[in-house]
Amino acid sequence: MFEHLDAWLHRPNFIVFVILFSWGLYIMVVHHNLVKKLIGMYLVQTSVIFYLVTLGVKSGATVPVLLSTTAPIRVEAYANPLPHVVTLTAIVVGVATLGVSLALVAAMYRKYGTLDEDEILKRLE
Amino acid sequence: MSHHLPALIFLLPFLAAICMPMVGLKNPGWCWPMAIAVVFAMSVASIANVVVVMDSGEIRYAFSGWAPPIGIEWVDDGLASIIMVTLSLLALISLINAGPTSPSTLGQRIVPYYTLILLLVSGMTGIIFAGDLFNIFVFLEVSALSGYALVGVAGGKALMSAFRYLILGTFGASLYLLGVGYFYAATGTLNMADLGQRIPELMTSKAVVGGLIFMFIGLGIKMALIPLHGWLPDAYTHAPEAISPFLASLVTKVALLAWIRIMFWVVGANAEIEHVPVLFLLEELGALTAVVGAFLALTQHEVKRMFAYGGISHIGLILIGVGIGNPTGFAGGVFYLINDAVMQAALFFLAGAAMYQYGVRSIEDLGRLRGQAPWMTGALIIMAMSMVGLPPTGGFFGKWYIVLGALEAQHYLAVAAVIISTILTLAFFIKLFERIFRDSQPSSGIISVEAPFSIKVSVGTASAAIILLGLFSDPIMGFLLESALPPGL
Repeated sequence: MFEHLDAWLHRPNFIVFVILFSWGLYIMVVHHNLVKKLIGMYLVQTSVIFYLVTLGVKSGATVPVLLSTTAPIRVEAYANPLPHVVTLTAIVVGVATLGVSLALVAAMYRKYGTLDEDEILKRLE
Repeated sequence: MSHHLPALIFLLPFLAAICMPMVGLKNPGWCWPMAIAVVFAMSVASIANVVVVMDSGEIRYAFSGWAPPIGIEWVDDGLASIIMVTLSLLALISLINAGPTSPSTLGQRIVPYYTLILLLVSGMTGIIFAGDLFNIFVFLEVSALSGYALVGVAGGKALMSAFRYLILGTFGASLYLLGVGYFYAATGTLNMADLGQRIPELMTSKAVVGGLIFMFIGLGIKMALIPLHGWLPDAYTHAPEAISPFLASLVTKVALLAWIRIMFWVVGANAEIEHVPVLFLLEELGALTAVVGAFLALTQHEVKRMFAYGGISHIGLILIGVGIGNPTGFAGGVFYLINDAVMQAALFFLAGAAMYQYGVRSIEDLGRLRGQAPWMTGALIIMAMSMVGLPPTGGFFGKWYIVLGALEAQHYLAVAAVIISTILTLAFFIKLFERIFRDSQPSSGIISVEAPFSIKVSVGTASAAIILLGLFSDPIMGFLLESALPPGL
């Protein structure tokens, strides 16, 4: 039991990820306000991005640019750029999604004058 | 030169999408012909691509010359090339259909509308060719974002459907990305060929199993598997008549193709979690989807919604086919995927035409078709034959090979699921035809607008394609069995 707890505490980043992800999912499911749903959605996306960022962390490493072509290359001195690039692209995708979703919500607000999901569904019928 | 074809096929719609606002600024009327011309060029390129792949085997395209696994790679093998032809030809017919059926309220916004359609097509092209898990995520989101906007473009009820589609779709994409992160953490690579060598021996690792589950749930939302299908019927029903064919025939099938890629090329057909074969689980999920989807279709009152549920059920049939795990089943499943794309497009063209000409929305309205438009009823009969699976249509041969594969592998549950879903499909088409042929409601006195030529062309071409797929099922199956099979099957 305590060994497991110890193993968990060695990876606090995973615990934070799980909390953020579940929190976002909870907000998405529970709230009836469309903007709050979007906040939950963005939290889910951000938690995944956070997880990807923590995968790329390497202590004591620097940007993967060779400063000298003659000095011997020490692999452990450089961070792997791939998780960072993946994260960057995922952030761009997330921002684009948020933009589209806010535009949709704005269109709905202009049409129905409310952001409450139940209210809108009632008017649709 | 010919090895640049995959990039060319992608760049045609993508660059045209970027140029569209510049062209459309002064002449919004040019957007439709321009989009058709571009997708026509794309279709020619993808047919050339199939010929090249047939002649000289698969093309592995490394972007900017960076060799994989460091660079980004596109895989243009038999499977990708034949699906690409299906996609580009269907996009072409759907675009021809899109001109007169697009919402008339768009006005100047017709320019971003066609831009989004081309972005949707290029995003799906990217998913088909992607040889890298993260690439699939990016293109999934490119096509999904254009899809959300296109569903909501007409306003009104469609806005809420688009919003739900967006929330669920983004959640699915986040789960998929999380799965990709797990795979990366376990192996340190994202390239499919590279992963394909490392993943099979790691199938006992919890990270890999968890990643696999997250990825499959994410893609399952995108392709509307039965417990995860909630967004689909509303989105397809409320989307503009011009957009439903794109969504119904292509978007879910392409997500399914990404699933096939990951399942067979990365995880491997023989993968097991705790001695349960992964493919078996997928096959059972497919059986559930096939039966429940067809049953739900039977209970619907709106024509488009009924077709949408029919499409969900057919996703299940394709999954049964590929999930059987022998060459006949796999090729049959992929052949059925091509058929289903054509059938769904045809059904939604017809729904759009009936809506345009007679204002048909619910099944009760279908009585207006009686004695009015023989071409429409005839086309519907061909589509129904294919959906149910009667020779000589393509749907029959697809189901035939799926059942044959299931019998070879002695998966009798799968056979039962195919048969039950066939009977239910027959039942809901009987419901439709009963309205058309037997209704006592007077069919006269309905103001009808003659459908434009381009709608008739698209309905006719799609119906002809259904028959042609049946007549040429032998060479297509031969090609699939010869050059589209995954390694180790």
